[in-house]
Amino acid sequence: MKKVVIQRDARSKKAAAKKEVRRWIIGILVLIFALFYFFPILYMILSGFKTEAEAAVPSLLFHPTLVTWKKVLSDASMINYLTNTVYHVVFGTLLCLVIGIPATYALVFAKFKKEGHGESYYNWFVTTILLPPVAVLIPLYIIFQQLNLNHVRGGLLFLYVGFHLPICIWLLHSFFKDVPEEVVEAAKIDGCSSAALIWRIIIPLTKTGIMTAGLLVAVFIWNEFFLGYNLTTNATATLPVYMARFGQQQGQFIAQLSASASISCIPPLIFGWISQKSLIKGLTAGAVKG
Amino acid sequence: MRTMNKKKRIPGKKYPIDRTFVVPALVIVAVATQAPFLLSIIFSLLRWNIVRPDQGITFAGLQNFIYYLADSEFYIICLQTVGIIGASLIICMVLGYLIALMLDSDIPGKTLSRTLILSPFFIMTTTTGVLWKTTILNTNYGWVGKLSDMLNIDVVDFVSFYPRQTLVFLFVWQWMPFFVLVLLGGLQGIPGEVLERANLDGCSWFEMVFKIKLPMIFNHMQVALLLGFIFLMKEFGLILTTTNGGPGQKSYTLTFYIYKALFSGSNVGRAATLSVLTVIGMLIIINLIQKAIKIRRRKL
Repeated sequence: MKKVVIQRDARSKKAAAKKEVRRWIIGILVLIFALFYFFPILYMILSGFKTEAEAAVPSLLFHPTLVTWKKVLSDASMINYLTNTVYHVVFGTLLCLVIGIPATYALVFAKFKKEGHGESYYNWFVTTILLPPVAVLIPLYIIFQQLNLNHVRGGLLFLYVGFHLPICIWLLHSFFKDVPEEVVEAAKIDGCSSAALIWRIIIPLTKTGIMTAGLLVAVFIWNEFFLGYNLTTNATATLPVYMARFGQQQGQFIAQLSASASISCIPPLIFGWISQKSLIKGLTAGAVKG
Repeated sequence: MRTMNKKKRIPGKKYPIDRTFVVPALVIVAVATQAPFLLSIIFSLLRWNIVRPDQGITFAGLQNFIYYLADSEFYIICLQTVGIIGASLIICMVLGYLIALMLDSDIPGKTLSRTLILSPFFIMTTTTGVLWKTTILNTNYGWVGKLSDMLNIDVVDFVSFYPRQTLVFLFVWQWMPFFVLVLLGGLQGIPGEVLERANLDGCSWFEMVFKIKLPMIFNHMQVALLLGFIFLMKEFGLILTTTNGGPGQKSYTLTFYIYKALFSGSNVGRAATLSVLTVIGMLIIINLIQKAIKIRRRKL
């Protein structure tokens, strides 16, 4: 009797060990794949620390220097593009949240004249996400030319807010829906004004959702190219436009290109790395429930 | 002032003031997206060339539409768009599901793997294009050149000789992480009891993956597919920085075609017509996808 038990024990141990080995093999294979997948980005970051002569030969061995970075950071046009992008990201994201949070609050909790009106407004916002920017480019291009809006940052900022508000509302909606209605009603009965209600109750309860929405909108605005490319002049263009022109004009200065590309990628990458967990949750919550 | 008083008199009675909070957002979104689209529709009915102001702007009726519907170039580019985007979506979906499965299972180093795999999603498309074109695919300074030197094979200039395949590859590289992100969320949302139960019932790995997990994340797949389609239709920077539509028009998509119609052709009416046609086409495809999903769901 005992023997059998011992035997079985040994067998299950063997099976467990086999499983453990398989787990490690799969883990390592996935990691190798991930490294290959990430390789262009890694190589870009490394090449920024090469000199031009070294960068002309693809290799992972080199003497790191800061020469190229200094050159790139002292380039006035680069700094100009960077400030434009930062301006759009900071003000665009803030405006999206400042306008989007009360709007979502109203869509979720307010009583509309007709039952279900809130829902249909929400659906309208979501369908505007489907509209491709090419569908609006032509009138916008002509309006921007006529009114000289492409010489100021404000015009593009307005468009960025308009195009990213629906995404912001879409993401916030599911998080706001998780706030129990009783809490909101109790606060209203206690005489809480709507503004105070949003500030004191809704925002603290939906911090993760607001973070997710804000970070995603920031990444989208940072990377937006199509409108930025067609509706700006040299003075108001953004980083993606700079990258596209750099590739066309000075494509052979690989070290300089890599350093500039690093500047264009690292902030959204960091945003993304911070928010990936809440993004997995937030994106699917917003997407599937809505 | 009067409206303010009104609001104070009947606080939160029949129509609480809360709902006015949605007005600024409504106005901004309508002005930024809907109004220009209406203008696009109006422009599509005009004969209007910006570099020839002497010709003036005249009403053309449906002539612009007829021009494109009778033009074989338009159909070729439509097919090309469907081909490039369809291939990218299918590869993204299959690969994305497999990778999400791996990242969902209990393997060592999965946080690092996930972080690395998700990274391309956060990078701007123009950087992706420039980066791949100069540091990887370039035949002299890139890794493709170096590797073919090492292996002693003839170097291939992918961007010029396989423009569409290259575009599909780059689209997949950029957008597959998004599919992983959504599908991973779906997989993590499957309740543990279901999987335990399936395990106890002696489900094989294959059955587990395709008969239990796949139907359970169907909603997520639908969302990934629809959003992925919209993202890819918008794609412009990658094409501009890598193939620039060429050689010839071999790697044009509709978005790129509209851009060219406006800036090379300077023809506002025609470009607007194309954009209206694109939106109609997209709506048809989105509807078809949703119908297919409904039919499938009824079968399940």
